[in-house]
Amino acid sequence: MNILHEFEYFKPKSKKEALELVKSKGSSAKVLAGGTDLIIQMKEKMIKTDAIIDISDLEELKGIKCEEGKGAEILACTKLVDIEFNADLKKKYPALTYAVSQLGSNQVRVMATMGGNCCHSSPAAETPAPLSALGAKVVLASLEGERELAIEDFIHGNRKNALKEGEILYKFILPEPVKKSACRYGHIGLRNAMEIDCANMAVNVELEEDKATIKNVKLVMGSVSIKPLVSEAVPKVLVGKKLTDELIATTGEAAQSEAKPISDVRASAEYRKDVIGALARRLVKEAYEAAKEA
Amino acid sequence: MGKMYEVSNKYNNYKEYEREFTEVGRSIPRLDGPAKVTGKVQYTDDLVLPRMAYGKILRSPHAHANIKSIDYNEALKLDGVLAVITGEDCPIPYGIVPHNANEHALAVGKVRNWGEGVAAVAALDEATAEKALELIKVEYEVLEAIVDPRESVKRDDLRIHENHPNNIAYEGTQVYGDPEKALAESDYIIEKEFYSSYVNHGFIETQSAISDFDPNTGKLHMYATCQVPHYTHQQLAKVLEMPMNKIRITVPLIGGGFGGKGVASQADFCSALLSRKIGKPVKITYERSEVFATNNGRHPCYMKFKMGFDKDGKITAVDFNNLMDGGAYSGWGIVVLFYTASMVHIPYMVPNVKFDGKRVFTNKPTCGAHRGLGGVQPRFAMEQMLDEAAEHFGMSPYAIRKLNAVESGYTAKSMMYVPHSEYKKCLDEAVEKSGFLEKQGKLPYGKGIGISGGYYISGTSYTLYLSYKPHTVATIKIDEENGVTLFCGATDIGQGVDTVMAQMAAETLGVKTEDVKVIPRDTEISTFDLGTFASRLTFATGWAIRQAAEKINAELFPVAASILKCRGDEIAVKDGYFYSIYEREGKKGRNREVLWTDVVTMYIESNGPLTCSGQFTPPRRKGIQQGGNIGHSPTFGFSAQVAEVDIDLETGKVNVVKITEAGDCGQPINPMSVEGQVHGSIQMGLGQALYEEMQIAPDGRFLNPSLHDYKMPTIRDMPKIDANIVEAYDPSAPYGGKESGEGPIQPTAPAIFNAVYDAIGVRFTEMPLTPEKVLNAIKAQKAK
Repeated sequence: MNILHEFEYFKPKSKKEALELVKSKGSSAKVLAGGTDLIIQMKEKMIKTDAIIDISDLEELKGIKCEEGKGAEILACTKLVDIEFNADLKKKYPALTYAVSQLGSNQVRVMATMGGNCCHSSPAAETPAPLSALGAKVVLASLEGERELAIEDFIHGNRKNALKEGEILYKFILPEPVKKSACRYGHIGLRNAMEIDCANMAVNVELEEDKATIKNVKLVMGSVSIKPLVSEAVPKVLVGKKLTDELIATTGEAAQSEAKPISDVRASAEYRKDVIGALARRLVKEAYEAAKEA
Repeated sequence: MGKMYEVSNKYNNYKEYEREFTEVGRSIPRLDGPAKVTGKVQYTDDLVLPRMAYGKILRSPHAHANIKSIDYNEALKLDGVLAVITGEDCPIPYGIVPHNANEHALAVGKVRNWGEGVAAVAALDEATAEKALELIKVEYEVLEAIVDPRESVKRDDLRIHENHPNNIAYEGTQVYGDPEKALAESDYIIEKEFYSSYVNHGFIETQSAISDFDPNTGKLHMYATCQVPHYTHQQLAKVLEMPMNKIRITVPLIGGGFGGKGVASQADFCSALLSRKIGKPVKITYERSEVFATNNGRHPCYMKFKMGFDKDGKITAVDFNNLMDGGAYSGWGIVVLFYTASMVHIPYMVPNVKFDGKRVFTNKPTCGAHRGLGGVQPRFAMEQMLDEAAEHFGMSPYAIRKLNAVESGYTAKSMMYVPHSEYKKCLDEAVEKSGFLEKQGKLPYGKGIGISGGYYISGTSYTLYLSYKPHTVATIKIDEENGVTLFCGATDIGQGVDTVMAQMAAETLGVKTEDVKVIPRDTEISTFDLGTFASRLTFATGWAIRQAAEKINAELFPVAASILKCRGDEIAVKDGYFYSIYEREGKKGRNREVLWTDVVTMYIESNGPLTCSGQFTPPRRKGIQQGGNIGHSPTFGFSAQVAEVDIDLETGKVNVVKITEAGDCGQPINPMSVEGQVHGSIQMGLGQALYEEMQIAPDGRFLNPSLHDYKMPTIRDMPKIDANIVEAYDPSAPYGGKESGEGPIQPTAPAIFNAVYDAIGVRFTEMPLTPEKVLNAIKAQKAK
């Protein structure tokens, strides 16, 4: 369990220096944001890297901006614990702060960052689903400049994402929630804490002026595909309709029909499909009820 | 009864123990608690000795393979590597049960489970040692692995141990009464199969050992995480071919044992062998995966039960067939096998019993001693069958338990004698506090309540090797400089025996618990104790301490009497004062008294030093059949639990909302500690019932050897616990106290399973009860 190989360790003092290092070291280096995934992978000898660029203490990459009517910006190296307990974020994006609070343990959340959680690009990650449901974008920075991507376009698959050599994930941009909308997050795992989800999901529901008809819905599933899975079937079921028990049941089936889970030590594929139905039914209803009050 | 009773009775004339205690019964926080939570105290792995080297063990990736060759030349060439050892360095087998010892510090010729040690390295630092492991080339001839004991017994062609046909480690049969006839005459018979799962203790501190061999004196001093220092001492002497008096084992504070540290670890042997080879101290600390690879956890059991009842619901007979998965080696196996047999006889009266059991080798990490060993498995089955019978007879699950429950003075068919039991009180209190009768069978679908009972031994009557010496010795030293110093080899593994021993000594000596110093265990300094297992310590050390303390009192009382000018048998001692029971200062004044310390000074000035020892040897009752003496204990603790569950019908997740416990531990020495044991037991029982399972692939690979993938309940998974101690006092016990560390785990799993039955009407017979199993059952119900 020791890290046996030798590697160079860099601790840049500015974002610019970090970008220079990322560019010059290229794929021979790994970026350390919180280290809660990276160090474990190194200890378990799953990865071997020539260099580590430690950006965890860069103040330029930390911070939350969340103002009334202006959405929010969360810089990539913001610690999860700071997101979890940010009152403005909690009020505006409860699905996100709740998802963050369910990640790992207290000790992990003090170290880990949202940038790291997304760049690690695990199919079971907690934050990509709510970020996607909320319409979040990531800003990728390099010496050449910045580019924006929707979060679901950023994550390509298991431990694969859109980062090119020389780029780091700089920040998340969350749009201001539209009126009469609400987003909810849920997850299923064996335990109530310290769990790798066997499935998770975020649902964002927007209602028409009548506070009853669904105008828009975005349902994103985690841990049932190689990347966060944005449902195409569920909007077809729900948009333009008022929510009924029958529709809730159909929503569950629609989500299940799209999920492509695998069997592993945590759960069988069949069980994952079962609980995707349960999550979809519950979260659509919860988000719908919350949107009425929004 | 043995010598100690005579001695204690003799001195007992001075003070007849009543239930009025001053130190016993105090809820004292652990004496070592503050040092633990502030990180001040040092566990074995925290210790660093001068010139210390670090050891690592190379472990087999195969579950079953012949070792063709081991080449470690490259490893020795690596800068910083000091020595490499293999099975050739440790040809002598060891085992906790000496007559079936078949384990080696490192594999000799063959590996029999994933993760078995094949070589060990000592190096200047840990990273170098680990790097050296990668340079050792082991050539294996991979053999077919068998991981299912039901398969293993049929495969005489594939023997895991050459001298064990059909891979049977041991088998045994016991017949008490005429079970066949009794079953034939029963009004109602349940026949059912159960499976209890493959779990590990999950103690937080992994095993660690530092061996310091001194080439000048030929002495070995070992620091080890060990709950049985005496047995480890013996086995080290055997494997190292050294006399016991050249070996000293110091046990620093232990971060949990639960039976898992009830065997010598390979870290102990390998560090000792390496240290002897290089003449420097060597430390080996296990990684979590090594804890799983060496396991010693609970035996999975495939159990076939027949249980008969008469027309009133009284148990007529039990026929119990147990196929036990032992894993690769012997360990505690034979003991556990016969414990499962003995556990059938209590806490209910069973007039006819048949037991037929086999412990079978498989290519899995060895099973051993695990909190409540041998009891959890049959209890899981029998407590569910009792519920089924209650339903058949239209009785409440509470009533059928009360009807069959044992009482004080009961002698089981196996000759086990129960001097004291308040089991019925436990049932009453758990039922009353939980509102069981108002809720059972009346809650909405998905919500349920279940009851279960259990008991456990309070020590064993026999040693693991033939010996007639006392099982525990306690020595108390009294002087002016330190006050009271207590020496006893009993090992505190987190259960709090150090605090409890101090309380018991303080009680008899009449001083405050906080003024008693307990010397940490060390085979060279402490007095003898067999070890921490079988919930024996409170009872065993209690007698030894009480006897030693009474001898001290017998010395001090005459001195106090002469100072107080009254008769020696009219003196009492309490709160640091000797006082006359009758003589007062003036007519209405305080009783005439003198400071305890003044009496000590006078004693030492006139008589010299004062040190007394006490001892305990349990009474023996002859078991009448093979293995029948296993399970005999001086006395027994009892527990009843009521579990309430709320099942998520869409996901199958069983949420245990509340567990109400009522326990009979006799007089609790430290009620706070008892409650801690109950909470810990419930956590462990709940973990096995719902979450935990070591997963082994068909080829024997271990799939989840980390606490990341092996799921123990977290604090967020814990139910509300209402732990109650019923009014009880065991007159056969020192200070009236019995075990409380292993009885309370017995009812947890069956109570949860019975609650699940109450919630959804499905009887599950296999642990763990995963959400997937529950959801599938709910879906099947709907499909009907």
